[in-house]
Amino acid sequence: MQPTNQRFAPQLLASAQRQLAEFVAANPDITLAVVTSGDGFEVAAHPHLPMAQRIAAMSSSLQALSEAIAREAGLSRSRNLIIETDNGTIVVLGIPNITPRLSLAVVASGSEILGRLLWATRTCCAALAGSLQV
Amino acid sequence: MSNDQELKIVFTGPMGAGKTTAIRSISDIPPVSTEVDNTDRASHTKDSTTVALDYGQLLLEDGTAVRLYGTPGQERFSFMWEILCNGAIGVILLIDGSSATALADLRAYADTFHRINPDQPFVIGVGRTNPEDADVLDRYAQTLAAGGIVAPVFDVDVRNREDVLLLIETLLCILETRVPGAAHAAH
Repeated sequence: MQPTNQRFAPQLLASAQRQLAEFVAANPDITLAVVTSGDGFEVAAHPHLPMAQRIAAMSSSLQALSEAIAREAGLSRSRNLIIETDNGTIVVLGIPNITPRLSLAVVASGSEILGRLLWATRTCCAALAGSLQV
Repeated sequence: MSNDQELKIVFTGPMGAGKTTAIRSISDIPPVSTEVDNTDRASHTKDSTTVALDYGQLLLEDGTAVRLYGTPGQERFSFMWEILCNGAIGVILLIDGSSATALADLRAYADTFHRINPDQPFVIGVGRTNPEDADVLDRYAQTLAAGGIVAPVFDVDVRNREDVLLLIETLLCILETRVPGAAHAAH
């Protein structure tokens, strides 16, 4: 979506897009990966599903709520958001060292092991942090 | 909140209309806020924006506890609108009167929230109006009426606690008029 994408040069976005495609290809249980701005814009996504924009907005709302709950409980800033369902998992991780904040939301089918999904997503976030540095 | 009379009221309106400020003005507790950096400066120049909800609480003089929920303003967060309206007794719609799209915003948000729950009463608060424009509130009321919605319209400064309380009290009066006792029986 335009407002956030304008912050990044087209070649950086193309690079992030490539990284997401490689990430999804290397992890067959992942059905969608979306880079999201803190205020709910889709920055990059793979595959290009219509729901990516809504997932972007929803994940930013949930992340803000999880941080509000953590603050209320006297905890520090939340790191990961994990939604486990009967047939799949969604994780939302912050992409480090980028301001304003960006996150990676990942949707995986039920056969994915949570620990492996978190590890793979964290690795992807680190790679995205490198390619999206302005 | 220990009182067994509890009401839920939703504050909505476009980005920058003053929803977070309104709740901050009247809440008895430090409000829960989900503001983040605003990266969409083309839509609004404000530094931050609400992406999930604002939450505050208010205890009225008669002992009624009011839960105050603020929505995100942008359409991309419309999934939150339905969630937050669930169980609400009414909607306070805030409009930025200095915006070039103020009347269109009023129509759009009134239509949308009326569709979400046709029985929920509305009260409209218009901020940043031009003090020399004597007919400004009439235009807002006529715009609503053209869409089949009847609602009181007030010129407000949401930084002013009394102005925001006026909106809430008006909403409660509407409920009392519809079904006497309904406002205080709701949960």
